[in-house]
Formats: sequence, structure tokens, C-alpha cells
Amino acid sequence: MRNETRGRPRTASGRVRAGITTLLSIAAATGITASRAAPDTHTRTHLSAAGRPAPGLPGATRVNPFNGDPRIATAGAKLFTSMNCDGCHGEDAAGWVGPDLGDGRWRFGGSDTDVFDSIFFGRPKGMPAFGGVLGERGVWVLVTYLRSLKAPADQPTESWPGH
Amino acid sequence: MRATVLLALVSILSWSANATDAADAGTGQWRMPSADYAATRYSALSQITAANAANLRPVWTFSTGVLGGHEGQPLVVGGTMYVVTPWPNVLYAFDLTREGYPLEWKYRPNVDPAAIGESCCDSVNRGATYADGRIVYNLLDGHTVAVDARTGRELWMTRVADLHSGETVTMAPLVVRDRVIVGASGGEFGIYGWIKALDLATGRVLWTAHNIGPDAGMLVRPGVFHPPYVQGSELGLRSWPGETWRHGGAPVWGWLSYDPVLDLLYYGTGNAGPYDADSRAGDNRWTSSVLARRPEDGSLVWAYQFTPHDSWDYDSTGAMLLADLRIAGRPVPALVHFDKNGFAYTLDRRTGRVLVAAPYTEVTWAKSIDLTNGRPVRDPTKQTGASRGNVHGICPSLEGGVSPAAPPAYSPRTHLFYTSTNNFCMDYESWRVSYLRGTPYMGVNSPYSPGPGGHLGAFIAWDAATGRIVWKDDEPFPSWSGALVTAGDVAFYGTTDGWFKAVDARTGKLLYRFKVGSGVVGNPITYRGPDGRQYVALYAGIGGDLALLDGDARSNDPTDVRAPADFAKEIARHTSQGGIVWIFAL
Repeated sequence: MRNETRGRPRTASGRVRAGITTLLSIAAATGITASRAAPDTHTRTHLSAAGRPAPGLPGATRVNPFNGDPRIATAGAKLFTSMNCDGCHGEDAAGWVGPDLGDGRWRFGGSDTDVFDSIFFGRPKGMPAFGGVLGERGVWVLVTYLRSLKAPADQPTESWPGH
Repeated sequence: MRATVLLALVSILSWSANATDAADAGTGQWRMPSADYAATRYSALSQITAANAANLRPVWTFSTGVLGGHEGQPLVVGGTMYVVTPWPNVLYAFDLTREGYPLEWKYRPNVDPAAIGESCCDSVNRGATYADGRIVYNLLDGHTVAVDARTGRELWMTRVADLHSGETVTMAPLVVRDRVIVGASGGEFGIYGWIKALDLATGRVLWTAHNIGPDAGMLVRPGVFHPPYVQGSELGLRSWPGETWRHGGAPVWGWLSYDPVLDLLYYGTGNAGPYDADSRAGDNRWTSSVLARRPEDGSLVWAYQFTPHDSWDYDSTGAMLLADLRIAGRPVPALVHFDKNGFAYTLDRRTGRVLVAAPYTEVTWAKSIDLTNGRPVRDPTKQTGASRGNVHGICPSLEGGVSPAAPPAYSPRTHLFYTSTNNFCMDYESWRVSYLRGTPYMGVNSPYSPGPGGHLGAFIAWDAATGRIVWKDDEPFPSWSGALVTAGDVAFYGTTDGWFKAVDARTGKLLYRFKVGSGVVGNPITYRGPDGRQYVALYAGIGGDLALLDGDARSNDPTDVRAPADFAKEIARHTSQGGIVWIFAL
């Protein structure tokens, strides 16, 4: 398993080597109380009959309590490493076996609610549900980090010089 | 002549009479992942020669419908070719006796898609094996399955691995007598690595042996275990701080071999976890090692560690080729292994003692292997760990000088070993991580750069008796294909930019090449068809680490469009994903 640096500008302050201790201190700083409840795991894309999602289930509209807070985004970058998210999504979320999360394109939607649901409930093909270990506030910290990544201009064309 | 006819007759009888071993090299079938128990990938077929290989041409192709990396190889048993795909692990059976090779059947198991995310490095499968009228193979989500080779009917399925703990199964099983031997991937997920034997008839687990940790779990039994360079009990426990062995890795995702005379099963173990070496002071036995066990009860007989205290993700899961060599004038039952760490080792397979160890590619992490104690002579400036910061200029990269996914071949005619090699280096920056079950347990950033010469790969012929390269064909891109060599003195391989190649086994001269539609990370095989002609088959279908490193070689997800890898910017010019089975003939 290999991470390959591809030079996306870092939007969070440098990488942090955080263990659980650091994680807990982040939790304290951001008021996260770790929920130990078993995660509600849903592993399918959630469609809603008549366009009406069930209250409290994936698809409900959620409001990010930390919306755009750069201090929280920085904490989220640390959390991204300490929860081993980078092991699948790569350094700076630039993609590895899991998709790139900073390119402005989203497999399951890029709204706060969509990204929250992806992390909290998990997704098919191996995205674990982190809601049980992180709780709602912890997931929002990660959402705030990912939403802070400055997506490069969308470049659907790849070309080779002198072709 | 009479002996040949008798051998052929015995072979035909044994195919119908449930023998699990035969001189397949002589029959023209391909019934085990690596051709034979010795893992030589050698075939005695000789219709295709260095003189006529230029007349090869493709005679048949088939799209598997699957985009994951097509590692592994087909099997040919009787008049049927068997192909296993990456997840979702479809098994196809092609009728080679009919025009166009139509399917006899296909088997589509219900494999959990969550396994894709528990796999470090793409949803690969390294192939099936045949024994006793059954095709036996592993599913990515941690099951071993046996299917009736004639009907495609499922005979048994056993859950062998715990997906929720990061265990997946990508390796090809081997059947020794009535035992199916399997192991788990998960060196990037903090598994407690193991190998198991299942009953071929029922799928019941007969024994489980761990590769690290306490003697009891490792099936170390008094008076049986004799490692060549260390002594004492609890070696797999005392070489780890505290209980770090519990998540220490040592996966089994490569190739198995077996010596029926010595009754020893050989296999390599993968990296130690996590990637931060500071977290696990000590040798971390038996990660990055070769282990020899009794197939009957799993007892460990000897073990040798190629990379003590692995600090570079140097798995030793590459193939262990068994060959009887003449070394310094003396015949030796040898085991030859090209390690990820850049050294090729020639061991005495009776004892595990190192006879020859020499670099086959650029190596900077160690200067040599000390033959008096079997240990590498390290360069201390290349030692990694969280306290060491970013360590530059480590060769080979953690992809390995030889990828363990790319098994070598050995010809008893030339006495040479043939293998794809990689020529790139890395920087390595690691940090402390926390174990969270079912998530990656790694902590590294390791950007790559081309090695000396600028070419990223090569195909070489190696003399394991003296430890030197005999000839070398450079490749512009990383080389990830297994090798095949035949009695026609032709060696075959594929390239990641999508060429199938045939070269002269004695000189390396290119004899034939064809662009096969996708990069090759699979392994060529050869067989005699029902019409008596010699065929060569291989998979195209770039993947494994290559599809992840070169993320722009993928075009299947509009929400995940990546830039080229900085060390191999051009490869996506030449290939995209897609599994294709190719067959060539004169």
C-alpha cells in the first residue's frame, strides 16, 4: 500500500502524526464527545421514495455546526490522519484505493449532508461507517476539513506534450 | 520413448483418477498456479522455439468484463481453460475443444463489495488450482471455494478470513495431497498473519498457523523447529515489544511451493505493521521471511528472515522456486527467491541456510548479506521510523525490486531464472498510527523516483549459483508480469504499457511482441491444446498497485479523475484498464 505525493497544495497546516492521545485532545478542543454506540451501517446508495427521506436516516438535510471554521478544518486534517483515513484516500485526501476527496467531484454527492452520511454511515465497496467511533461532532470536523480543500479547476482533458 | 508413452498414459489416468500431482511440465497442461510444486513456471513444450517465435500470432481473445488488475494466470486441465477474475471473482470454464472456445459454464459467487475497501492495493486475485476434479480458489471477501471442474457446481465454501479485521484473500491456493493451503492479505491493516490447511473433500479447516507471535499459535513444536541462525523459544514473541505482534502483519498473499521428497511446504510472509518501525523495536519475526512447514499438521520446521525489523515495506511474499543447482561444484537442493528488498537469495531448502545473496537491482538500504549470520549489512542512514523524519534515496522502493505479484520462472535447460524487475527508489517518511480495526494501519508517505538509468523496469536472466545477471532487457515502465520459460528456450512476459513479449531465453533477444489492449500484470502460461498445438495464454488488465500509482490509467469513474503519477507520467498514454484473456500460437 503506497501513497504517492502528487503535489496538491496543502490547505491544512502540515501533516500531523497523531495517535489516539492526540485524537482525544482534538476531541476535547472541539467539544467532541466520542459516541460508543454501534454505528448504523448502511452500505447502499440511499434513494428516497417520492423524494422524501425518512427523518434521521441518510438523506435527511443536515447543518454543519462548524461550517467553514478554519480552526475546525485544521483539526479535521489531523483527525483525517489519526483515524487512518489517509491509508485509503491518500495523503491530503488525494486518492489511493479510495477516491480523491479534494478534486471537487463526488461519488455520493458533495453537500455537507452527503459527505456527513458517507462518513457516518459508510458506503458500498468498503467505506466503513465511522459514526460509531467518531460521533456526530467528530464526523462534522472531518466534513469541515474535506470541504475546506480547494478543488483545482476541473480538468477533464489529459494530454501529453508533443503527442 | 516407451517411458514417454507410459508417462503420458499415467498422466491421463491421473487426471481422471484424482491424483493431485503429476509431471505437468510433461503433459502440456497447467494445473497449478506456478505450473508445478517447485513453482518453476517451466514447460517442457517445445514447438515454439527461438527460431520460429517470430511467427506467433493471437488466435483468440475474451473480455472478462472486469476492470480490476488481472494478476494470476489461467489453468488448463484436459480440454478446459479456467479463468478467475478479480472481484467479483467470476470463474469461467472455456471449452478448448470447440471452435471459438465457448463457455462450458461460469460460476458467479456473491462476493461482498466491502472487500474492495479492505484491500490495500486493488481487488486482485492470483488464480485457482486444480485437484481431485475440483477447481479451488479464494474470494476477496475471505472465503475459499471448491467448484466441480466439470459442471461448475459449488462443492463447498469456507470462510477463512475476517474481513472486518482487514483480512482479505488474494493469493492462489496450493493443494498438497488432501490439503488446500491458503493465507490472508492484510499487511496494511494490522492483521495477525496466518496460513491454514483445509480438507480438500469438505473445506473444513484442519490447522491454522500464525506467522508471528507465541510458539503455540505458530505451531512451533519441541524438537521440530530448527531455524538456521537463531535459537531458543518464543522467537516470534520476544522479537516484538509488548503485544505489538497482535497487529504485526506478516500476511500471506504470494505463492506457495512444496518439496514432496522433504515433505516441506514453503511460503513467504509480508511486511511488518505498522509502517513506522519505531513502533515495533526488534526483529519482528517472522515477518518478511520464508517459512518451511509440514503440510500434515502445520509444524514449523525452519524459518529465515530476509529483512529483520522491516522498515521499508519489504514483503517476502514473492515466489520460492525450488531447483537443484550446482553451487561451487556441489549439487544443492536450492530455494531461490527474489525479495522486494533487492537481493536474490539462494538457500539450502533443507535447512534455510543462505548460500548466495546478491543484489539484482539498485540497492541502497543494505550493502550486502552476511553469510555467516544471514543478516543484512545495513546502511544506518537509510533506517526509517517516526523519529527519523523523511529518509531519502532508499532503493528499491516499497513496490519491490521484484513485485511479489510477478513470479519468476526457472529453466532446467539453461539453469537460469527469469524475472521482471523494477528500477525505482523512494523517500520514506513514517509516523505513529493507532490501530482501529478494519482501517489501514500504516502511516507512511513514500514518493518514488526512477533509479539509475531512468528506465523503470527490466526483464532479466539470473544465475542463482553465482548471484549475477546474465542478460537484461530494459523496459521503460515498471515491470509487473510473471515469467514463463519453455523447453523451446523461449521466455515470455508482459509489460505494463501493454506488450506481450517473447525473448530468446539464452540471450534476451526480442523474438516477438504484440500490443494486448491493456497493461500486463498477470503471468503467461503455455499448454498443448486438444489439437496438439502449443499455445501461450496470458491476461491483459493493468491493476494492482499500478492502477493506483497511475490513477490516470483508470477511466471508469467520472467522480475520481486523477493526475498522472509524477515518476511515470506517460504510462496512461499506453494503457487503460480492462481484463482480456489472450491466446497466442504459431
